[in-house]
Amino acid sequence: MTLLVVASFFLSLATGLFMMLSLFPCAKPKTGALLLCLFAGGGLGIGISSCIYFICLLTGMARYTAAIDLTVCLASLLVFLMQRRGKDLREFEDPVSGPQSSSQRESVSGRKEGGPTRLLRSERWARPGSRLQVLTAILFSIELIFTLISFTVAFLKEPHGRWDAWLIWNMHARFLFRGGDLWQEGFASGLDWSHWDYPLLLPLSIARGWTYTGGEGNLPAVMGYVFTFFILGLLLTSLSLLRGRIQGYLAAMLLMGTPFFIYMGTSQFADIPLAFFILATLVMLLFQAGSPETPGATILAGLAAALCAWTKNEGFLFLVIVIGSLFFTTAYLRGWNSSLKRTAWFLAGALPILVCVVYFKTALAPANDLLAGSSVSAISSKLLDPDRYIQIAKAFFITGLSFTQGLFDVRTGMHLTLGPVNLLLLAVYLLITGVWIEPQDKTGLLQTLSILFLMAAGYFLVYVLTPLDLHYHLMTSLNRLFLQLWPGIILVVFMVAGPSQPGASLFGAPQMIPTRPKVKDRQGKKTKRKETQ
Amino acid sequence: MKSDIPSQHRVKAGWLLLILLTGYAVFSLLAQSIEVFTDLPDKDPVTIHEARIAMLKPSLPVFGEVGYVTTVENEKIFAYERAFQNVEFLAQYVLTQYTLAPLIVRNSPDRPLVVGNFIDGPPAPGFLEKKGLSPVRDFGDGLILYRRDLGQ
Repeated sequence: MTLLVVASFFLSLATGLFMMLSLFPCAKPKTGALLLCLFAGGGLGIGISSCIYFICLLTGMARYTAAIDLTVCLASLLVFLMQRRGKDLREFEDPVSGPQSSSQRESVSGRKEGGPTRLLRSERWARPGSRLQVLTAILFSIELIFTLISFTVAFLKEPHGRWDAWLIWNMHARFLFRGGDLWQEGFASGLDWSHWDYPLLLPLSIARGWTYTGGEGNLPAVMGYVFTFFILGLLLTSLSLLRGRIQGYLAAMLLMGTPFFIYMGTSQFADIPLAFFILATLVMLLFQAGSPETPGATILAGLAAALCAWTKNEGFLFLVIVIGSLFFTTAYLRGWNSSLKRTAWFLAGALPILVCVVYFKTALAPANDLLAGSSVSAISSKLLDPDRYIQIAKAFFITGLSFTQGLFDVRTGMHLTLGPVNLLLLAVYLLITGVWIEPQDKTGLLQTLSILFLMAAGYFLVYVLTPLDLHYHLMTSLNRLFLQLWPGIILVVFMVAGPSQPGASLFGAPQMIPTRPKVKDRQGKKTKRKETQ
Repeated sequence: MKSDIPSQHRVKAGWLLLILLTGYAVFSLLAQSIEVFTDLPDKDPVTIHEARIAMLKPSLPVFGEVGYVTTVENEKIFAYERAFQNVEFLAQYVLTQYTLAPLIVRNSPDRPLVVGNFIDGPPAPGFLEKKGLSPVRDFGDGLILYRRDLGQ
């Protein structure tokens, strides 16, 4: 059974990895970029596999899921190999304009070229072997082991997860898997308390794994484990590439020091997968901003954002905000043509997933409890009620500073619980190190910051309009909403935090001085000094 | 390079602060986990409840609907939870549904077959009679399957 679970994960992971390698703006991925592709692709692959399984269920081909998964995986491998071959051919035919030299052109012309430039810069920033980096890596490894132990104990304590796991996500997975040909029964069951309108990524991913094994194992817990550590990996590798390895390690350590993050990972809720897809979208937006002429990262951002909508209803808000932010910030910074082009790439990435989402929402899902029965008069009275705004603002303030520590006790109400890791720590860290924004990151940072801000504003508005009891709604959901954004907030903070010069030169490691661009001679021989030396 | 010296110290201070605080947080979590591990019961409450409810399965259809009754009246199950008074009754109902899926468990006694889950004690006197419920089988531990007299 374990082998079959591994096989189901392997196919998802491989599909996502090959897709990442095909689309990610990185000419010749080295270890860091490969790991980023592995973590990002792994999560995206799980999302894609859930959509494939959904189509299999709809078409009555669920028993052939493994064969279809294998075919899709091989197809993505083929696309990757063909694309790789085309790239190698172009490089062979035109070595001067090949990927190796794109950074050289950038050095000469000052043009931003994206992926390869990033990789070269990150190498300069994160020279392996500096004592500080080794020390940080050791501390990170120790914290990772401690976190793994804590995670395992939490799983042993509650192998079925917590409330929402068996009330919503795992329950839906059971209906999908046990239902056989009648897998749609749950949606029309009228069991409103189980929120059958919630998107299906997590339940389908679990049910798909069970289809492989033919029985129900601890797959929901494995899913929680996988997404939790994919978030850590994605945060670490993306920041390592964008800002240097030490920043990557520190960001991941910060996330591991967030008890609520670990707690939610073991709870088997969909908030952690959603946090992953939000983070993946933001990471891809940061990379796409640095590679404006290549569509890969933008397509991947679209895919990740659509998977947000396929994971939780909050994902719809996220998707709309990302589209708006991408369109308007690009129009403002690069003009309408560029904006339309990038938005089209983004939507191209999102479209395959959105087809599944739209079908689910229109053909299967019952009405959402927050939207059902909302009248214009009820909405306007809530909008004009200042007490609601005050209550929500107060909850935002308290929860904003306390959510990292875990859930509130509903009997004692909201109160400030500052642990060692919280938003204030990030603020203090920024105050100490200072803010240092690299010019090529400005566009991406503007987009990611505006997305995070608008998400918080959107959540605020949802609470203003909620038909549920406001206190109840805030108490039971706000900390989870903040947690969904937490990895993204950490990403942005570490993208702007100092140092104000290359890290390698700060701590006695060999200083990286930009050298004159090296070009291959006519015979294609490289010059003796490597560019990164 | 002189002007860089303060920034070096600031950056080092920032990193040290993060390392110390995250280290403390992760270690605290580990200490709590060790404490939890030493007190871990053999089985978690969900597994126990599931094993208990699973005894009903051979007596129930795989698909379709059954009713549900418990210690308190059905409408109070959700009301107690909403009022932050008692979540146990809701948890018991949800776990019954979780175990019996894809059979649908209605929070109502108005079905031909009704699951009685009285782990927290019997219902109010006369409630079962009023709803026309007669026991089909008592599985012990407060778990009883009822048949509803359709004449009621």
